[in-house]
Amino acid sequence: MSSPTATRRPFLGLDEKKRFMLALIAPAVFALVFFQIVPIFTGANASFRDWALHDPKRTWVGLKNYLYVLRDPEFLFVVLPNTFGFMAASVGCSLGLGLALALLLNRKFRGRWLVQTVILLPLMVAPVIAAIMIRWMFNDQFGIVNVVLDLFGLAPVAWLTQRWTAFLAILITDVWLWTPWFTLLLLAGLQSLPPEPFEAAQIDAATPWRVFRHITLPMLRPVMVVCIVIRSIDAFRTFDIVWTISGGGPARATEVFSIYAYVEAFQFLNFGRGSAAAVIGAFIIVFFAMGLYRILNRWVEVSK
Amino acid sequence: MDWKLTALRRTATAAAVAAAVAVGFAADAGAQQRELKVGYQKHPIQDASLDMMEKWAKANNVKLTRIPMAYSVFMEKVTATLTSGAGDQFDIIWHNDDWGQLWEKWLEPTDDVAGIGNVDKWPLDAFWSADRKLTVVPMAHTVGTFFYRSDLLKPEEVPKTFAELVATGQRLQKEGKVKWGYVGGMAMNNTWFSFWWTMWANNCDILKPLFERDNAKLKAANFEPAITEPCHREIVEYWWDAINTHKISPPGMTAYTRNEANAIFMAGDAAFTLVDSTHFGEFNDPRRSKIVGKVAMAPFPVGPRAQKPTSWNEIWGWGIPKGISAERKKLAKEALAFMLGDEEGQMEMWKKTGGPPPNVRLWDKIAAQDADFRMLKNAVFDQKPVTHSAYYFAEWPAVHKAYSDAVIAAMSGKREDIGKVMQDNVEKIRRAATGN
Repeated sequence: MSSPTATRRPFLGLDEKKRFMLALIAPAVFALVFFQIVPIFTGANASFRDWALHDPKRTWVGLKNYLYVLRDPEFLFVVLPNTFGFMAASVGCSLGLGLALALLLNRKFRGRWLVQTVILLPLMVAPVIAAIMIRWMFNDQFGIVNVVLDLFGLAPVAWLTQRWTAFLAILITDVWLWTPWFTLLLLAGLQSLPPEPFEAAQIDAATPWRVFRHITLPMLRPVMVVCIVIRSIDAFRTFDIVWTISGGGPARATEVFSIYAYVEAFQFLNFGRGSAAAVIGAFIIVFFAMGLYRILNRWVEVSK
Repeated sequence: MDWKLTALRRTATAAAVAAAVAVGFAADAGAQQRELKVGYQKHPIQDASLDMMEKWAKANNVKLTRIPMAYSVFMEKVTATLTSGAGDQFDIIWHNDDWGQLWEKWLEPTDDVAGIGNVDKWPLDAFWSADRKLTVVPMAHTVGTFFYRSDLLKPEEVPKTFAELVATGQRLQKEGKVKWGYVGGMAMNNTWFSFWWTMWANNCDILKPLFERDNAKLKAANFEPAITEPCHREIVEYWWDAINTHKISPPGMTAYTRNEANAIFMAGDAAFTLVDSTHFGEFNDPRRSKIVGKVAMAPFPVGPRAQKPTSWNEIWGWGIPKGISAERKKLAKEALAFMLGDEEGQMEMWKKTGGPPPNVRLWDKIAAQDADFRMLKNAVFDQKPVTHSAYYFAEWPAVHKAYSDAVIAAMSGKREDIGKVMQDNVEKIRRAATGN
């Protein structure tokens, strides 16, 4: 007599093992489809429609929302330059500092574990909390930053009232939050490098700078490329820090892409236009990331 | 592999049984106790208003569930809830005059709530639906109030004009009594506490015709901004001078929200501020303020183009989503009616929070026994002309932002460029108003 399992007919031509595997991944697929894929298509659909959040008529308007965004001088000449400027400055500074810290932590010294723990602390702080703290730290009346300036005999600065000082406050926050991330990954990269080239350089009495310039850096490039690409994409969509510290101000001077999309969709309640901005941003970042990856990949190839 | 499938099946069966049992229990509990869910902002005034409804709820075996939401996302979240078919997520929601035009078609008429006849009619202008039905039940008045330090100035010394505000502020600064003369919010969504009160007090407005709030008339005038009018340029120049020339206001003020301005005032560093009266309780909270018992109210100082102090008078209220069942609508209206009729609770709310009660028939009674309320009444409610502190068309949030960007840009540049910056922004404001 055969067992009940053996006589069961295959469902969709799948055997038991495959069905079991499907059952295991089903919750993840469900979450992905309903919380990622469907909202993306809903947003993309809304971008072609007259979709005011308070009065969603949902009538088809074609490319009207896209044309509005692409013709908006604020989007082209303020928002996009701010976004890419922020991305370049943040990724550049975090990478430089992260690499320096990784090199430091790759050496043996007393209290290394303590330094390591302290350096990683910002990773445990939610960006919005960090941004609230930074906003008060840069307050011209109560902020610690002006107190420090005062100790050095410098005049207090109204940080958030001018474009570049406000931008600097945002940048400092972002670099503070993300440098540990670079440190962590680059340190892992450093510790996985083969020791032979370093031993050979030691025998040749190469200076530390030459070792770093000609051995460490080229061998670390693949890790750096991954870090740069991932972080650049993430920096492009930065929202919470900018929103909390400057709100995109003064007078839109620090507005970045995600603030633009948010304000259109949720402050002006024009969900269609906000969605169009988001879709445009998605295309920009996809093409930018592909281009960046190709350039950096070539850099890695050259270094080989 | 069999045991795995069996385990999966058993788990699924157990989950289904548990869910069925839970639903059964929930249904049973629901039959015993009804529930009203309230979406609101955690604020002493709103909590005080809910405390009144709580009394009714307890007496009627209703569970009042408070669902707090952050101010910064409240309007967006509730709008999405109302329009997405999930309108039954809340039975009562906090409602504000700025949102009246956005939510009017999604909210239940409230004309039939008992006690609605006892509220001030002026602030209700923002809350009528297209078919002239009221969509709000007032919770408290939120009125812009000019606060001064009563330990530094006698009532007769309080500035009555913009020029006196500068002179008095500078005098107190020179005497070392305060660090700043005036402090108030200026950044986006805090425009009322600097630009706008002086704008109205200088007989000016944002759009033409000045002080018009009829959308049809504003549209007929093509939403023409008034920001290049002399009356408007004067107020931007006034604030530019206050910060850069007279130095009665902090240099960082263009980036201040009301929180930062209030922090400076409550630290005892400023002589004057203007903010919603609802902050009076905070100013007198010894856990947060150094100026407890040293704050008084006065009418707005007036600008060169006005003769009398102006004021604005709006409300916070409660709305009922149309999407909920008839039974819950009835319950919600009963709760709100109880709140409107709870004289003791409303007087308690005033004493605890500084929120003027919605029932205007109580005002004289409170004024007779409370000096602070007399002061507020004189500073705001007795002043005419009165204006609305917002416009009530759907694109208003975009106009507000475009306006704020324009004046902040003007404040960030040179004084001689103010006129040009304002001119450059006329089209942006009009574009925001027309949605093009």
